[in-house]
Amino acid sequence: MNRRVYLDHNASTPVHPEVVEAMLPYFAERFGNPSSIHGFGREAREGLDSARERIARFLRVSKDEIVFTSGGTESDNLAIKGVAAARGRGHIVTSAVEHHAVLRTCAALEGQGFSVTVVPADGYGMVDPDDVQRALRPDTILVSIMHANSEVGTIQPVGAIGALTRARGIPFHVDGVQTFGKLPVDLDALGIDLFSFSGHKIYGPKGAAGLYIRKGIRMASVQHGGEHERRRRAGTENVPGIVGLGKAVEVRERDMAVEEGRVRALRDRLWEGLSARVPEVRLNGHPTERLPGTCNVCFRHIESESIVLGLDLKGIGVSAGSACTSGNVEPSHVLLAMGIPLDWAMGTVRCSVGRGTTAEDIDYVVDSVEPLAGKLRSLSPARV
Amino acid sequence: MRYSETLIEHFRNPRNAGMMRDPDGVGESEYPECMDLTRVYLRVSGGRVEEARFQTYGCGPTIAASSAATELIRGAALEELVDLADARVETAVGGLPADRAHAAQVVSAAIRAAARNAVARADEGRRRPAQGE
Repeated sequence: MNRRVYLDHNASTPVHPEVVEAMLPYFAERFGNPSSIHGFGREAREGLDSARERIARFLRVSKDEIVFTSGGTESDNLAIKGVAAARGRGHIVTSAVEHHAVLRTCAALEGQGFSVTVVPADGYGMVDPDDVQRALRPDTILVSIMHANSEVGTIQPVGAIGALTRARGIPFHVDGVQTFGKLPVDLDALGIDLFSFSGHKIYGPKGAAGLYIRKGIRMASVQHGGEHERRRRAGTENVPGIVGLGKAVEVRERDMAVEEGRVRALRDRLWEGLSARVPEVRLNGHPTERLPGTCNVCFRHIESESIVLGLDLKGIGVSAGSACTSGNVEPSHVLLAMGIPLDWAMGTVRCSVGRGTTAEDIDYVVDSVEPLAGKLRSLSPARV
Repeated sequence: MRYSETLIEHFRNPRNAGMMRDPDGVGESEYPECMDLTRVYLRVSGGRVEEARFQTYGCGPTIAASSAATELIRGAALEELVDLADARVETAVGGLPADRAHAAQVVSAAIRAAARNAVARADEGRRRPAQGE
């Protein structure tokens, strides 16, 4: 009864014990301001510098190209608004399945006189590089396409898109929050100029994230203040958080390859169990080009939130694909962009597997979903 | 937990769920903003609800409110239910968070519709001579 199963790793992850241990001294012992020149400040600066070096090595870039931020949303805002502000005007290309941090930032810029083209996605949530190519204009100043979708897990063909932008000298921003530390990423080979990443999706702390900015990319400050982060992001750095982010990257570098296979097997076990035992389910996202831990499922004629609540009562944490806020259901823009019919989309649940998940957890979830889905369907007048 | 114990209890063990054959009144209500849909069936005797059943598509609070409301209205007079206030359903389910107030609204609207339908059917029955006469 008291079993607890967390299947929401795309939302956040538990901080790895090694990460907690690495962070602890930076709260009360090495608490200085890294911009201070005295010994207290230098101790904090050392923590910051070594995290920056660790992350730069992991991404195979120069440490001067890493800017720390407070989260993936800030990284996306900095990348897009930073490039836009440096140019002053122009055209931006993005896709219909981006995170709101990208879509709403682009929409805000549109209100300020920039023009924006939103390219569509196919039924798997995948963007076609040909659509991106067709959208490019002489005044295009930025292309922003995510690496992998947080909801359905589809991995975008960023390499093909990067080749297009590189050939034209257009900066290419990739929101890599869902792939960073989960899959190998070669920024140079993929033609990526700006790359958002975050700590709390990879067993690091919340509030610590970053943006890779390729040397030579023209950026203007978005946040004004001190000289921090080489004048690209004003504000005292979150030293304990960034030290944790650095440690999380170190742990991922060590464990990533082995974990990927294990997580993928558990994800597939979940879908195999659900599809064998629950009628009228469908798997969303690309069958192969998909994040190893992501299993996004539609239950026809059931409302997402009732499944989430029913599973919550069994100690299981999953997330609803359609969020009901203030009595207004907003079916996920990603599912709508994928053309999923409303009677399916309304019953979408995202399960995301992680390092702590076991085969027994997966079996418990399948055992719990089967009767719950049957019960909810038996209550529903929509089932005709 | 953001939901009341009563709500959770009704969600876990919904009472009076499922359709009713040959009801004396049926009413339906949909909350278009979130597509919640509730259908209420009434069995009436002497102008009072003898049995109520429901079918609901919706979030947990709407399912729970449906269950609680079918218990609430058992024994109630039809003329009273024609004007059933949303607040009575909300109280019956142990209260609702502000962003789930629609759960009580959709359920009470279905009950009011079912009560009106039962009244109309009864009036029609009175006007029509009984079979076999």
